[in-house]
Amino acid sequence: MSSPSLFKAKVIKNARLNVEHFILSVRPEGIMPAAQPGQFFMLGIPGRLDPLLKRPFGYFRVKEDALEFLYRLRGKATAIMSVLDAGDEVEIIGPLGEPYPLPKPKKVPLLVAGGTGIASLYPLADAFGGEALILYGGRNSDELLLTEELRGICRVLGLATEDGSVGVKGTVIDLLKEFLAGKNKNRHVVYACGPRGMLKAVSELGLEGYVSVEERMACGIGVCLGCAVKTSTGHKRACKEGPVFRIGEVVFE
Amino acid sequence: MSKRLEVKIGKLTLKNPVMTASGTAGYGAELSEFFDLSRLGAIVLKGISLKPWPGNPPPRIIETPSGMINAIGLQNVGLKAFIDEKLPFIKKFDVPVIANVLGTTVGEYAKLASRLDEAGVDGIELNVSCPNVKKGGIAFGLDLKAFYKLIRKVRGCVKQAILIVKLSPGAPDICEFSRAAEDEGADAISLINTIPAMEIDISCRKPSIKNVIGGLSGPAIMPIALRMVFQASRAVKIPVIGMGGIRAGEDAVKFLLAGATAVAVGTAIFVNPRAPINVIEGIEDYLKRFNVEKVSDLIGGLQL
Repeated sequence: MSSPSLFKAKVIKNARLNVEHFILSVRPEGIMPAAQPGQFFMLGIPGRLDPLLKRPFGYFRVKEDALEFLYRLRGKATAIMSVLDAGDEVEIIGPLGEPYPLPKPKKVPLLVAGGTGIASLYPLADAFGGEALILYGGRNSDELLLTEELRGICRVLGLATEDGSVGVKGTVIDLLKEFLAGKNKNRHVVYACGPRGMLKAVSELGLEGYVSVEERMACGIGVCLGCAVKTSTGHKRACKEGPVFRIGEVVFE
Repeated sequence: MSKRLEVKIGKLTLKNPVMTASGTAGYGAELSEFFDLSRLGAIVLKGISLKPWPGNPPPRIIETPSGMINAIGLQNVGLKAFIDEKLPFIKKFDVPVIANVLGTTVGEYAKLASRLDEAGVDGIELNVSCPNVKKGGIAFGLDLKAFYKLIRKVRGCVKQAILIVKLSPGAPDICEFSRAAEDEGADAISLINTIPAMEIDISCRKPSIKNVIGGLSGPAIMPIALRMVFQASRAVKIPVIGMGGIRAGEDAVKFLLAGATAVAVGTAIFVNPRAPINVIEGIEDYLKRFNVEKVSDLIGGLQL
């Protein structure tokens, strides 16, 4: 795996997908980092005091020589990020963390995404060359992003919204349970990324696979120990031993 | 290499006055992916205790304006694993290694210090100021009698390494504690540790970190750190290592002028792992720009 680097990048564009969601495209100075699905980058604006720390964003994709980040407006940092314009400079560290492991032969990858969790699963689906199944849930249709593109890179795309505006009415967990009903669970390897409650629910279904957790991080490189995750073998760093953990490893409370 | 940046802490000569602050550089491995650790004046490693500690339950950190609050709780591998597994890596670099230690009793501190001294670290920093552990630690940094006793005992155990005492910003009188460290034979004092602080998440009416209270660090605390370094350095003759919010050469120069002999970069490393290098280069730029012959000319050079 390539070791992480610290680099500056220029914003190419900052496309608004809908009210809360954006794709930031940046061109790194120097060579494009070789990230693998499941890894992440720390992104910040150099010299800023508030917010001071960089924020972690899952590796989403490289498109037209630009490194892209899919993000949702959540707080101070993403609000500032949302007004970045072409030509602005950002500072990035990465790629960081452990990627999603590949499934054993003959196992079918089943990707379970909640909200912006799709950002880290999108490149994974792409890597499976159309073989993956994707179940994707959000609160409403605005939280289901890039569905047309996703259809083009997977075998099956199942959608769920809590308000029922698109796909099945309910959560992605409802969809997952419905999908698994009467099927042999052992055929699949699950890859889940989304809110904590969703990952907890996925972990309780007795499936083989992986969850990618999201934690507050200060450094992202493994020195601050701020992103500790409780696991069956003690505290582990989301940024270093994670963010991808085997199902059953993380103790969700 | 030019000796323009050299400073002395006890018998240790540092090639420049810039160190890492304990808890922000791990045991060195992660940072070594971003720069050559040999460029540092010294590396101060993550605090270690006699036995491994699991640390506090998450969430452990929260960002606040121009700073962050942490309650890591000294998660560490323990003395044995440190000596066997971590120390050999960092000793490969041409950089003085300073171990930071934390105990719950005088006896634990003494054992840690003597074992590390034998293991060949260049310096031992006594952490008597961590706000995030329940027993020991900061208790010694707030009670002058216990503080005297602790340093006297540890001083007797450390033969080779230099002994640094890291003071708490909560000490009732920073000058008194600084003098106590000097009286008991410490080679240097370092300050400030983080300042006890808290943050609240109003969406769920809960503290933002599980431990409720943590330690505030980052640029937000720099003016407080600068004031305390100024006061402490006037109270003692031993060198003062200043820290608190340093992220650029200009910040380091302020600490040197206030009386620090060396500085440590902490939270800024989280923002940019190369921050200590930026600070070293920033100090050099300052020396050139203001025609200062050597960095030691700046120490305590504040014009009142």
